Amino acid sequence: MIERYLLKLRARAEVSAEEEVALRSAVSETRTFPPDHVFVRRGQVLSHSTLLLDGLLCRFKDLSNGQRQITELHVAGDFADLHSFTLKRLDHNLMTMTPCSVALVPHTRIAEIVRAHPRLGRLFWFSTNLDAAIHREWTLSLGRRSAISRMANLFCELQVRLHIVGLADQAGYDLPITQEELAECLGLTAVHVNRTIKELRDRNLVDFRGGRVRLIDLDGVQQIADFDPAYLYLDDAQLEQ
Amino acid sequence: MTRYYLHLHNRIGSVPDDEGAEIQNLDAAHEIAIASIRDILGEEVKKGRLDLFGRIDIADADGEILRVVPFSAAVELRLDEVKS
Repeated sequence: MIERYLLKLRARAEVSAEEEVALRSAVSETRTFPPDHVFVRRGQVLSHSTLLLDGLLCRFKDLSNGQRQITELHVAGDFADLHSFTLKRLDHNLMTMTPCSVALVPHTRIAEIVRAHPRLGRLFWFSTNLDAAIHREWTLSLGRRSAISRMANLFCELQVRLHIVGLADQAGYDLPITQEELAECLGLTAVHVNRTIKELRDRNLVDFRGGRVRLIDLDGVQQIADFDPAYLYLDDAQLEQ
Repeated sequence: MTRYYLHLHNRIGSVPDDEGAEIQNLDAAHEIAIASIRDILGEEVKKGRLDLFGRIDIADADGEILRVVPFSAAVELRLDEVKS
């Protein structure tokens, strides 16, 4: 059930058989949600964390006028709100973008795991640090990258993250979100997103349509994105120290 | 809510909207068109270019154009100097 999560962990560190058992037994129940469903609201008191098994979800914050900024996308295998273990209430919302299957992990069990398996505790810590690194890259994009470079960077990031969990290859991956939702990730309007998609397509770099990203020229996309995957910490996380 | 399609036309070419969006009414779609034009012009200004030749056609699901929003309607352009 948590296979993709294990793939994600093992892309960065070893997970022993004993640790795997502990992680598998942490799940109390699984749930499925329809698309566009806010399942954690800002300020809501939480007693469990959500691990995304299948689908795509996002974190977002919004303004009183209804404008929404998506601050991170989560793919299958992401322990999406491990943050709530220490924060208890989130400053943002979690919403499904596609039909999602999630596993609920009670905070009490995370506490037990951290006590019994300090190394897994470090892995959890690494995981929230990785989310912070992704947020910093998005801040760089929103603050400094041009629209086309920002979009290209997101396409590159998702290719790497989905590839880890077996959902992308060099040719592309499924991304069943609307241009409106992509606009909310990129801080652009949907019309601007549409125009930017067309520009990427006209330049024979990447084609996004019908819920799929086709990477026509991955090197070219990485170049226009100024993409450096170092922030995704794919090298050994050095958790043994 | 009605599905509206915002088709962009400017000097570079046309960008048809195949997806559309559920919007409250035509006036709300007009507001979104204005915000979209400002967003696009803003990006271009950062590159040192301001080209007001362009428009957004707001269409319904049948392709009928309900309103045309020219780029010039989205900005107040001032070229005169401040008189002291």
